[in-house]
Amino acid sequence: MLLGRGGESVIEVKDLHKSFGGNHVLRGISLTVERGTTYVVLGGSGSGKTVLMKHVIGLLRPDQGTVFVDGVEIPKLEGRQLTEARRMFGMVFQGAALFDSMTVFENVAFPLKERQRSIRAAELRRRVVEKLKVVDLEEDVLNKFPSELSGGMRKGTCSARAVVHEPKVILYDEPTTGLDPITTAYVDDMILQAKRRLGVTSMVISHDIASAFKVADHLAVLYDGGIAAQGTPEEVRRSEHPFVQRYLSMWFEKQ
Amino acid sequence: MGRLRALFEDFGRLIFFAGEALAWVVRPPFRPELVLTQMAAVGVGSTFIVATTGFFTGMVLGLQVYYAMRQFGAEGYVGGSVALSLARELAPVLTALMVIGRSGSAIATEIGTMRVTEQIDAMDTMAVNPIHYLVVPRFLAAVAMFPLLTMLFNVMGYLGGYLMGIYVLAIPAGPFIEHTRTLVETVDVTHGLTKSLVFGAVVAVITTYRGFSATGGARGVGEGTTRAVVMSSIAILVVDYVMTLGAVGAGR
Repeated sequence: MLLGRGGESVIEVKDLHKSFGGNHVLRGISLTVERGTTYVVLGGSGSGKTVLMKHVIGLLRPDQGTVFVDGVEIPKLEGRQLTEARRMFGMVFQGAALFDSMTVFENVAFPLKERQRSIRAAELRRRVVEKLKVVDLEEDVLNKFPSELSGGMRKGTCSARAVVHEPKVILYDEPTTGLDPITTAYVDDMILQAKRRLGVTSMVISHDIASAFKVADHLAVLYDGGIAAQGTPEEVRRSEHPFVQRYLSMWFEKQ
Repeated sequence: MGRLRALFEDFGRLIFFAGEALAWVVRPPFRPELVLTQMAAVGVGSTFIVATTGFFTGMVLGLQVYYAMRQFGAEGYVGGSVALSLARELAPVLTALMVIGRSGSAIATEIGTMRVTEQIDAMDTMAVNPIHYLVVPRFLAAVAMFPLLTMLFNVMGYLGGYLMGIYVLAIPAGPFIEHTRTLVETVDVTHGLTKSLVFGAVVAVITTYRGFSATGGARGVGEGTTRAVVMSSIAILVVDYVMTLGAVGAGR
């Protein structure tokens, strides 16, 4: 099943261990994300899912094990090489993290402009508008400031900014946490659209079960620093791991 | 003991932060438009407060020095004393303190807010070094504008002292200006301006560092700003003492 798409792996996490002081947060995580698919890491707070994502993008170094992204071994990189490698990623933050002193246009243009300082204004504008369309935002938001946008529009702008330089991987950090149901649905659609329209590989960390099952091609449930279950949504749902059953039943009972 | 240790650790991180900032100053890409924006914020925005402070300091200084000089009949030296105190000491220090209150706090708050709302992390993941993008322009702007503002303080202060001396205390303008010329040398002015250059660097590094190390939410940003203002004010006084000691010891 894991190789169902004739899959070529983009992210490979191998036996990852990490402790902070005496706190063993990750105890041997292994997972594979295939090109063009969305992988959701589900887990409660303190399960280590944020720590896992920080290893993928190279903000933290593992005690043991390693991470490959598109064939590059991230923990081995330093300084300029790491900066280069970060260009493979686009990241969507929980709180959108838009630069509040800049307009929507300047925000979305920022990664492009910083990378290609000689880029022409017309080209810049074309690419910004194109990426805003991916998340169903129109040109009229270009000159607005983040404080003038709704929560959903902020998330959309953040996603457009994450994909504007055409990254290989998009990382979503709790994309639906704290959002109302309608905005949550919008964000779920946005993740699906980004996959469909751009063919991009995504990794989502979340504790929102409903949203996870909607967007995931594969998912993993993190528990106590290890993976309690992983596979397709159907496989995870049938998992017999006691924590996974308890965790998922809370949500499926509500349906 | 633990607190003392934390204090030293914090100071160590500040030094590393300063080193990193300095290393980034000379690396491309350069962002002149950001430096200009910051020069406007730190410099142009502070002209009114610095000019006012300078003017009143000069007037008060004129009065106080007159009170002292009159006791041995040396009223003619008021102009020179005012100019000398301003150039060597009061202009650089008071300018720095005023700009810390006005712009230093703004820098710490802005960067602190960017830190707690993940804007700085966002920059990092977009392969833009936040120290390069946020600290370097503020550093360059402060280093350029502090001496200019200090010079403005000098001019306004001497003007205040002159108006007070000539029109209120009725000191003859001739000796007032003549003794200024004999008492104050170029080296006194450059000594003050050199100080202000260093103050600019110190204030920029401390306030941006405090912003970068803000944690938590609004409260963390507030605490960071308070610490930025307190720490940079104290640092200015300490650095001022050391630099004065160095200069006076060297006979300047």
